[in-house]
Amino acid sequence: MKNSFDEKILEEAHDWVKVNQKVVLATVIQTWGSSPRPTGSRMIVNEKGDFSGSVSGGCVESAVVRESMGLLKDNKPHKKIEFKVSNESAWEVGLACGGEITVYLEQIN
Amino acid sequence: MKLETLKSIISKKKNKTEFAIITNLSTGESEIFEKEKPLSKELEKYSNQINEFFKSKKNGVIDGTEIFIETYIKPIKVIIVGAVHIAQYLVEFAKSLNFEISIIDPRGYFASEQRFPEMKIINKWPDEAFKQIETNENTALIALTHDPKIDDPALQHALNKKFYYVGALGSKKTHANRCERLKEAGFSSNKINSIHGPIGIKLGGRSAPEIALSIIAQLVAETYKK
Repeated sequence: MKNSFDEKILEEAHDWVKVNQKVVLATVIQTWGSSPRPTGSRMIVNEKGDFSGSVSGGCVESAVVRESMGLLKDNKPHKKIEFKVSNESAWEVGLACGGEITVYLEQIN
Repeated sequence: MKLETLKSIISKKKNKTEFAIITNLSTGESEIFEKEKPLSKELEKYSNQINEFFKSKKNGVIDGTEIFIETYIKPIKVIIVGAVHIAQYLVEFAKSLNFEISIIDPRGYFASEQRFPEMKIINKWPDEAFKQIETNENTALIALTHDPKIDDPALQHALNKKFYYVGALGSKKTHANRCERLKEAGFSSNKINSIHGPIGIKLGGRSAPEIALSIIAQLVAETYKK
């Protein structure tokens, strides 16, 4: 059973758009090993770096915010980011649990 | 994702329909998939895999492709019998968990809109109330009145319709008496034993919000056992 306990992030994304904010939707599209949040978990980020929801247990959210703000600044439609323990930035944003996740960023427009 | 797509996803969620969001990760295009709706030309070749994901209610990327699927199921229906103090807290917890709640209580002074703002309240006896609600194996019953006149008909309905969760408030003694009555009404011991009574997981608390929390915790656990 999936998605029975929905987190209403999409509804919140719509609320943000309604007040003229630029919004990036970040979705966990793949996981390997022990990842903290399941596939389909979401967070949203606006141009100021405010965010809601989660794609991990707090391990990679800062990087997702940074990447999302970059996406909006460069006005790119979408982007895929992989997070692994072996990332060079592992000391900062790696997944301590040893899992790997792919997060898909897309602008809502 | 296009704003139009986002809007229609939100409205599908509101209408409690079963659907999936399919995203082509290389183009960024998303579309909504429904059982009876034909797929777009571009996605037709993946129709077997998409149906497979949809049937098993799975989220993920189709192997070897750039197609991501996220499935949405209908929310679980929870029927609370007894618009009592505990029910007020239950409703609060259930809101953040996306359960679809109906409250049944024939006693008008309990089942008031003032006590349960914006809730579906059916101010009738259970036998009458159940005529208004479509129920199935995706439905849960929480009986809170511990008044046999109100709880028993609801429990009988839930057992007959094979609800996936049936719980009833009351002490061990109250529950033993309840089981005896159901036995006399012809229910098998298997069915009677499937009732969670006394209801809830053991937290130790006795206040209304604590009991509500223990009930909702048990309900979530049983939902994942389905």
